[in-house]
Amino acid sequence: MLMTSFYVVMAFTASAVLLGWVYFRNYQTARPSIGVLNLGDVAFMIGVIILLPYLYLALPLWLVAAIFAMAMLSILYFVAEPVLRIRWANWVVALSLIGADVGANLYFGATSATFFLVNNTVLVLAVVGVTSLWAQSGIKARDVAVLGGVLALYDLIATSLLPLMTDLITHLASIPFAPVVNWGVSHERFVIGIGDLLLATVFPLAMRKAFGRSAGIAAMAINLGAIAGTMAFLQLAKVEVGVPLMTGLGPLMVLQYAYWVRRRGQERTTWEYLRAEPLDHQRAASGRI
Amino acid sequence: MFKTALAQLRFAASVGLGRPFAQWSLDHLIDAIRETKREFGALDVEDGGSQLGGPVLDEETRHELHLRRFRTQAVRAAQETSYYAHLFEKLSLKPDRLRFDDIAHLPATPKEALREDPGAFVRRTTTPCFGTTTTGTTNKPTSVYFSSHEMRTYIALATIGLLSTNRIDESDIVQMSTSSRATLGNTCFAGACAHIGALVYLAGLVEPLRALALLAEESSIPGKKPKVSYMSIYASYLGELVECGLQHGYTPDDFGLERIAVGGELVSEGLKERALKLFGPVEVYDDYGMTETWPFQGQSCSEGHLHFDPTSGMLEVIDPETGTPAGSGQAGTLVVTPLPPYREVTILLRYDTQDMVRQIEGPLTCNLRNLQATSPLLGKLRLATRHEDGWTFARDVLEALEGADEVPLPARYGFWAVPGGVAVEVVVRRSAEPRVRRAIETRLEERGVPVRELNLVEHRGELQRPLPLRCDLKESAFGVPADSGGDVFGLTLKQAAGREDL
Repeated sequence: MLMTSFYVVMAFTASAVLLGWVYFRNYQTARPSIGVLNLGDVAFMIGVIILLPYLYLALPLWLVAAIFAMAMLSILYFVAEPVLRIRWANWVVALSLIGADVGANLYFGATSATFFLVNNTVLVLAVVGVTSLWAQSGIKARDVAVLGGVLALYDLIATSLLPLMTDLITHLASIPFAPVVNWGVSHERFVIGIGDLLLATVFPLAMRKAFGRSAGIAAMAINLGAIAGTMAFLQLAKVEVGVPLMTGLGPLMVLQYAYWVRRRGQERTTWEYLRAEPLDHQRAASGRI
Repeated sequence: MFKTALAQLRFAASVGLGRPFAQWSLDHLIDAIRETKREFGALDVEDGGSQLGGPVLDEETRHELHLRRFRTQAVRAAQETSYYAHLFEKLSLKPDRLRFDDIAHLPATPKEALREDPGAFVRRTTTPCFGTTTTGTTNKPTSVYFSSHEMRTYIALATIGLLSTNRIDESDIVQMSTSSRATLGNTCFAGACAHIGALVYLAGLVEPLRALALLAEESSIPGKKPKVSYMSIYASYLGELVECGLQHGYTPDDFGLERIAVGGELVSEGLKERALKLFGPVEVYDDYGMTETWPFQGQSCSEGHLHFDPTSGMLEVIDPETGTPAGSGQAGTLVVTPLPPYREVTILLRYDTQDMVRQIEGPLTCNLRNLQATSPLLGKLRLATRHEDGWTFARDVLEALEGADEVPLPARYGFWAVPGGVAVEVVVRRSAEPRVRRAIETRLEERGVPVRELNLVEHRGELQRPLPLRCDLKESAFGVPADSGGDVFGLTLKQAAGREDL
């Protein structure tokens, strides 16, 4: 029988993926006016992904928490910006969420349900904002698939062959903005890393942009299904070790990309995607709804 | 995108701190803009422009920036050029100690000094490799020298400018209808087009029917528009094309022009309106630039002002009679100092362009209101006339004349001071008709020209003091081959036989 923590973590995971989908189609984040996220940036991201865990393990926890707080503050501000459109309101929302996360951590403790609830919410919102920014900055489905493919290998090494990821999650578990969607304690505890969540959310967006709505929905279903299946299996089989989720997700992304490229040909640019599927507010402006 | 951010930072360091431009950052920005346009279709002109068009500065910051860069340039000039070494020695001034108020007391560099001895303005430690001359429309041509780094930078900056304002893309076919001797502008513009991937060719200043035939010619080059879509041209030559094209029955359907960049001379509103009759709804840009102060340029805004980027040069508007800064609403000559990192080889401090403008009255409300602005160009000082009521500039007369259908384009005219006002002479279509005279008199009066004598003629040879026009710098061609069949460059043999340049 599946435990509550499974349902809660899956609910947050599904929220990130679905909210990301809705946000991507309804709000325009303030992307840099010059530049497109490309393969060079993906290579840079991979380098950062490899180096950051060591940095976080080496730095004092208070400094890591401060870095996370600054990053979250800016991300939450940018997530709120197209929704609220009022500068002071953006700051109020972003600062309130930051304050709630820090407060819940300090007041209720890092293993309390309240902190999990707040921290998971903050992480989901951050994932929604970051993935929309990536997708709206023109990232190609090919580049996300490449990232997924490389991370599949990296996750296998860092999570299964080395104690790196387990050490990192344990090390950061006690601070505000801990980068994991988390629920439960002891053997009931269930965790999914923010990296897995980012990839699971951005891939459907990139696929929708590249190949259309069906490709995006298929990617969402496959990602959520794979995550749910893996987590259910782990819980039912009572496996209590860290599992490299990307090792499963990455190849699925590569396969999906290969399938859609074969079926639809070259992927669309943002310009072609928006021409074919105008955003809701664009349709309204052009009188199409 | 990460490398783009680095390139933008490097670019900003050059613009903000005056350090030389790094070619890699310019090249990367060009690639990034092209990639952005491919992905998103077009660049947000306001946003992209503000990121690459230099910082918005308040007056105090602008003064500080100008003082710092002027000093840098003055030190180089005093140490490394013979002209300014003598000048600073004569004035007993230390260039590194100049205060902002001192700058206005430095004598302006006259055109004649540069014209007579251009080498005296070249820094000894630089390697000039590109020499260019002005077309010399208003006098003997003036030479200016640039380094290869400057030329590469100018081409890259021109590319960024054209791309970030969405003026040219790789599907465009570009016709340069400018003098082949205008090597600086042509090299930079053609280089920028090549960077962008647009197809560019120099048509030159050829017989108007030939130029029109080139514009109307269908091409089937893969990836390119079917006809010329962008033209760079002098105002008077555009006038010739419009006149000739309308006379020969050309209509907008014959052309695929989308944008015309007109420069080198005053561009009248009448010319722009009449150009639309021939070419249809094209965008017309009339920015300002000159060889000597390159790459310091004026950009036209939505309200017709000329705006200048404060980082590439220092702009002063000086009353030609008093030598002091012109006040609000007053006319003065543009005195320009091209600043580092935009100028390395030929140093000019307070160069008197002799181009007259008027200081803007009241606060700016246009789309470029954050940049220093003047009125549109009024014309060259030596062509203006001073009379009891003030000045009459070439623009006053030109706007009145080219707005009148009775005056063929380009307006060929002259004007000079006479007791109580000015005398104006102009070529018109039907000089004997009183209606024509009345219409032109009315237009001149509306423009505030105190006409005391008006001489209407029907042939340019009858003009006593015609103003020079760049369209008269025509380039000749070989004769018509005997076996050429139907036509040569769009001219029938009969038409061609009547042309002096064939």
